Amino acid sequence: MTVLHHLSKSLRLAGIILLLGQTSWIYAQDPKAGKEIFDANCASCHGVCNRGAGPALKDVSNRRTEDWLLKWIRNNEQLRKTGDAQALQVFNDNGGSIMPAFAGLSDGDIKSVLAYIKEESPNCDKKKTVVPGADDANKKAESPDATLYILLALIGLFLLVFLLLARVKNTLSRLISEKTPEELQASPWYVRILPGALSRMNPVVLTMFTVSIFGLLGFVWFYDFGMNYIGVQKGYAPDQPINFSHKIHAGDYGIDCKYCHSTADKSKSASIPALNTCMNCHKSVQARDKYEGEISPEIKKIYAALDYDPEKPANEAYGKNPRPVKWVRIHNLPDHAYFNHSQHVNVAGLACQKCHGPVEKMEKVQQWSALTMGWCINCHRETGIDVEHNDYYEKLHEKVKADIAKNGEKSKYKDPNGRVVVTAGMNGGLECSKCHY
Amino acid sequence: MAPSVKYWKGEEELVKDPSFIAAQKNEFADDLPLAEVLEESDFELNSSRRDFLKYFGFSVTAVSLAACFKAPVRKAIPYLVKPEEITPGVALYYSSTCGSCTVACGVEVKTREGRPIKIDGSSRSNISQGGLCAVGQAGILSLYDNERLANPLKSGGKAEWAAIDDDVVKGLSGIAAAGGRIVIISNTIHSPSTLKAIADFKTKYPTAEHIQWDAVSYSGILQANKSDFGKAVIPSYNFDKAKVIVSFGADFLGTWISPVEFTKGYVKNRIPQEGQEMSRHIQFESNLSLTGSNADLRFPMKASREGVYLTTLYNYIAQAKGGKQIPAATQGELAGNSIKQTADALLANPGAGLVVSGSNDARLQSIVNGINLLLGNIGTTVDMDNYSKQFQGDDVAMDAAVKDIQDGKISAAIFYGVNPVYSHRDGKKFGEAIGKLKLSVSFASGNDETAKLCGFVCPDNHYLESWGDAEPKVGQYHFIQPVISPVFNTRQAQVSLLTWSVGITAPEKDPLADKQIMNQKFETSPYYTYMQNAWRERMGADGFDAKFNTALHDGVWTAPGVAATVPAYATDLSSFGSYIDALPKDNALDLVLYQKVGMRDGEHANNPWLHEMPDPISKVCWDNYVSLPKSLAEEQGIKLGDTVNITAGGVTYNNVPALVQPGQANGTVGLALGYGRTAAGKVGGSKEKSVDSVGVNAFPMVQNGAQYIVHGVTITKGEDSYTLAQTQTHHTIEGRNHVREASFADWKKNKKAGNDEPKPHMYTVWQTPEYRRQGATNHFWAMAIDLNACTGCGACVVSCSIENNVPIVGRKEIILRREMTWIRIDRYYAFPNDGKVINAEHERYEGKFLTKEKGIAELDAAVGKEKGAAYSHYENVRVVHQPMMCQHCGQAPCETVCPVLATTHSTEGLNQMTYNRCIGTKYCGNNCPYKVRRFNWYRFNNNSNFDYHFNNELGKMVINPDVTVRTRGVMEKCSFCVQKIQEGKLKAKRERRTVKDGEVKTACQRTCPANAIVFGDLNDDQSEISKLYRNERGFFVLEELNVQSSVKYLTKIRNTEA
Repeated sequence: MTVLHHLSKSLRLAGIILLLGQTSWIYAQDPKAGKEIFDANCASCHGVCNRGAGPALKDVSNRRTEDWLLKWIRNNEQLRKTGDAQALQVFNDNGGSIMPAFAGLSDGDIKSVLAYIKEESPNCDKKKTVVPGADDANKKAESPDATLYILLALIGLFLLVFLLLARVKNTLSRLISEKTPEELQASPWYVRILPGALSRMNPVVLTMFTVSIFGLLGFVWFYDFGMNYIGVQKGYAPDQPINFSHKIHAGDYGIDCKYCHSTADKSKSASIPALNTCMNCHKSVQARDKYEGEISPEIKKIYAALDYDPEKPANEAYGKNPRPVKWVRIHNLPDHAYFNHSQHVNVAGLACQKCHGPVEKMEKVQQWSALTMGWCINCHRETGIDVEHNDYYEKLHEKVKADIAKNGEKSKYKDPNGRVVVTAGMNGGLECSKCHY
Repeated sequence: MAPSVKYWKGEEELVKDPSFIAAQKNEFADDLPLAEVLEESDFELNSSRRDFLKYFGFSVTAVSLAACFKAPVRKAIPYLVKPEEITPGVALYYSSTCGSCTVACGVEVKTREGRPIKIDGSSRSNISQGGLCAVGQAGILSLYDNERLANPLKSGGKAEWAAIDDDVVKGLSGIAAAGGRIVIISNTIHSPSTLKAIADFKTKYPTAEHIQWDAVSYSGILQANKSDFGKAVIPSYNFDKAKVIVSFGADFLGTWISPVEFTKGYVKNRIPQEGQEMSRHIQFESNLSLTGSNADLRFPMKASREGVYLTTLYNYIAQAKGGKQIPAATQGELAGNSIKQTADALLANPGAGLVVSGSNDARLQSIVNGINLLLGNIGTTVDMDNYSKQFQGDDVAMDAAVKDIQDGKISAAIFYGVNPVYSHRDGKKFGEAIGKLKLSVSFASGNDETAKLCGFVCPDNHYLESWGDAEPKVGQYHFIQPVISPVFNTRQAQVSLLTWSVGITAPEKDPLADKQIMNQKFETSPYYTYMQNAWRERMGADGFDAKFNTALHDGVWTAPGVAATVPAYATDLSSFGSYIDALPKDNALDLVLYQKVGMRDGEHANNPWLHEMPDPISKVCWDNYVSLPKSLAEEQGIKLGDTVNITAGGVTYNNVPALVQPGQANGTVGLALGYGRTAAGKVGGSKEKSVDSVGVNAFPMVQNGAQYIVHGVTITKGEDSYTLAQTQTHHTIEGRNHVREASFADWKKNKKAGNDEPKPHMYTVWQTPEYRRQGATNHFWAMAIDLNACTGCGACVVSCSIENNVPIVGRKEIILRREMTWIRIDRYYAFPNDGKVINAEHERYEGKFLTKEKGIAELDAAVGKEKGAAYSHYENVRVVHQPMMCQHCGQAPCETVCPVLATTHSTEGLNQMTYNRCIGTKYCGNNCPYKVRRFNWYRFNNNSNFDYHFNNELGKMVINPDVTVRTRGVMEKCSFCVQKIQEGKLKAKRERRTVKDGEVKTACQRTCPANAIVFGDLNDDQSEISKLYRNERGFFVLEELNVQSSVKYLTKIRNTEA
């Protein structure tokens, strides 16, 4: 995935260099400034690649002259009144929706915007190619085949039993055959195939030795298995009813996590947003450009869930046959473990990524952390709490300050690196009833 | 004085019953119920024990391990349109009014994600004043009762609302046109809007009458006040203003009129404070009631003779005041000249006494009025101007209606909030007569005894699904707002009434519609508009919306009160002499019918929490029984586990469980109303579902004129034996010194009275934990319980169970001592030490109680049976209530014995119980000196053997999502509501401030009507708890064990002289 990411970056760079070489008038303009103007004024209705309320602007400089574009953008209504055929056609093609006038933009500004669009246009196709790669993480996360391991362990065990039985059988048959021990001096086959040192060992000791080696290995495997695989769903990335991409929303568009997961700083649950949160944007953002003028099938799912008719005016209430979306829960804590988002997001000020990983890069969200108790506890042992800026910790803070003033380097509130820090663990964060009740 | 009183919890302890001794040795009643466990639905192994062990071979383990991989796929379904005020994971509170009885306490309802999960008292309400009783607490489960009617019924079959409306309107119109009488029989209604709806109904159908009738009547008071003062009202009783409280059989702390309000007032003068007199509470009664158990002086009396004693009291007072006496030939005095003493105490506190009577005899209530009037109490402690509207039932009108229905003089009846077929004394005949009606409608929410016989059942919403208002006291309005949309296809009774009369329409503009909320689910009830219009008239249109919304938000709206006055008195008591003389003088037995604190009138008989809650006095769960005095039991040879045959008022019940009840007055027996339901449901009993009734129905024994005292009952020993589920001797603490009490007189001399035993020297091998040191930076959570305030009402028990998802185990398991409640209220009895003294005239006996040294045999011997005062020491027991829960010991014995560290100590002083670590050795339970640990013998949820709320989808809605539902095989115990502590701390942290005192309240503390429980942070020097810990009355139970308990009890002080 990272390789592809780098590749797309270099391709983009190459594109820019190519563009710079080709066109002279753009040279004077600054695509970077253009992007800012674009984001501030145009992006609410237009995408470069995607259709918003207005058409996608990809390669618009190829379709229209710069002069026409300047006039259109500054005041399209005036342009239409002059009877400009192109202007009227654009107006009619887009359902007669009115684009506001941007009289405040200078020629230079508009040219910068056009430069930006020109620069961005070639990237539209590439973006699509990136998508399939995102599934790699999911494949990696699949669980190992436990049944196979267990069967192997069983086979090993049975083999041992078989060897022991064979040994017993030999002894018994030796007794029955009434041969002298000398006659039986010839070693059995399994001794003969063993290396010298082992073959000279007492068979009983040898058996015990072998069994304990296997036993130890088995125990280690079993412990690891029990601790890290049973009930641990790290990497769990189920298909969701709507293929919502965190990469597009949190990554590409940089939407803040808490815009949608708005209760993370005040509730135990970060909460999956209600669909009307989606509709704040998706009433107008429909990604038609990607689907040949049709609304994206994923966005259509939102509309279907709300029984919303996109052809209706935007301020109309939703329909009467809603079908709530049944998302598949990814992070499942057991019932006996209490977790509160606001404690971590609001009080501790942790970034979401600390536990959830680079969600903004995930096309499909997966469980990033193990969510085992050991994982929780480790973090509580290591992470400092901010006792200075929260009056709740006032007394604790005073005590820490006094302790450091008194004991200096030997203060118990210092971590191994000499940093003064009160960890969550020092303040009772390792106790049972902080999470279990 | 060091307390050397011998306390005991039950007779079996007193006489050292072998089964009791054996049980005492074992913390847990039985071995593992392996057979039953294996029979549980999730454990489908039909095999012998040997086979069972075989299954535990390696291969099964391996395969089951492999199966662990398949974690179930769990779904998360967010809102489509999230209501603005809801934050998933954060509780939302609404003000409302409790609808469990007609007292109408203001409540706060806690909801999570749109479902109500807890009800607590609202401090804005003058009725509840922040507390709530057990019945109110348990009311939440009635909402999630899956036996409520899901649809309206027509002739017993499911029907559509529209069809029913058509039929009912046609029927009513026809009857009204023909001049036929229509009656609406309801319980007390003081809701102004409902009364308006009924008035509208009467306008439409002029032949309609409205009769109010309560299953348990207070009409005696109403009638007396009507004849004495010209006002048929129940006054407000101001217990907080009373220095001397005298009650004749009125259980005002438990069941009488408005117990939460009365408890709040009562305790105000019950906490001994420097320079302030404690109130003195004197109780005369037959059954040992909750109120009697809290009295300073309690005198057993024969209920049928109450009139005589009241007359005597009246005459003493009249004599002193120079008034006219009642010319009765019979005068009565009770042991220890108690009537005279009571008169003296009352006379010493003119205008600050309060005499109440539980009798429903209007003449006795008139004498009570006379006493209060002579003493100047009317206008101070008895407020006739700001009167109560909580009970207005008219028995005379009801009896007439019952007769008229039987005679076919009434054509249509609508039953609203009443179940007369069950709870009227003529219920059976009445039920037969319902068939004669042309139209019968019931608004019952379940298919109860009356509803079953009605042509139409139009199920009413639960109050948590309804709009409404209430006026429990004149001028004090309370509001009801829905906190959940109706669970079933039910309709508010008011809407039904209005639909059939004036018609009712949905609000013109739905207030929720413009919020883009899908309107098919969130329809605002049409009754909202109706109610709003009614209130617009009352509040005035000017700024109405804001005023109305504020009132809804607060849950209360109070019109300015009026000053209490002394109304003119119109009765001549001198005519009462002959009536008093005619009261029965013979020695025949009295039966006193009473309400239990949990079950009350039986309306909530299908609520398992109310059955599971032990009766505050007898500690019996899940049953009704005849309580007998020791003398009668001895006479008839009745012992614990026997039954009796009882005949009273022409009704006979055979083989009713019997209980020898200390404190029961000689010559009287008691039986509770509210049991024996035959159409309540799977919990309370249902013929249809072949579920046996819990107990017997005592309503048919009620006497004419709703008299609850039956004279001349016969009791014989029954043939059967029966085991009552009685928790009194479970978890006993083997006669150690765990309750302390002293008299007020001693306390005035020595603030440590009763609590001044020299402290034993303590040794410890443990270090003082950080939180117990000076200048600790963290919290030190602790609790204080004032034994003086605690009345033992049991509200905390129910509240705790709801908050902490404590399972209900049922009668069978309680008999095996497997109840799960985290908090229990230990009730201790103590004997007076000398039987002879009690019966001697002019002598006082209080304070002289049986010591540990003096044996029961000696005492029994000292009591002269020949004097006709047999076993009077049993009659005169003294009672102490002591709530007991995990003491969160600093050096906890349970922690040191846990082999897996499942129970450990926190840095904030909590004894933590970690369910997921527990392997169920039960060592901790065995080692706990307070016996507060509970073991999950079964998985109580999803288990068909425990078919209560944990076992169905709807019932599970009441589960608190912040508390783990425990599984089989783990220990549990009081956690000090750690989820509430954590929530309070987190809120403070989020707001970057310290935790405020009083911010974290445990569930028991939150509901306590007596403010007996205080919880807080001991490391906060200014906190309420720190102050209480400095109180000299404080002691720790079993302090000598040096377990460093975190629950401090305050010595009980009784206002007695010795």
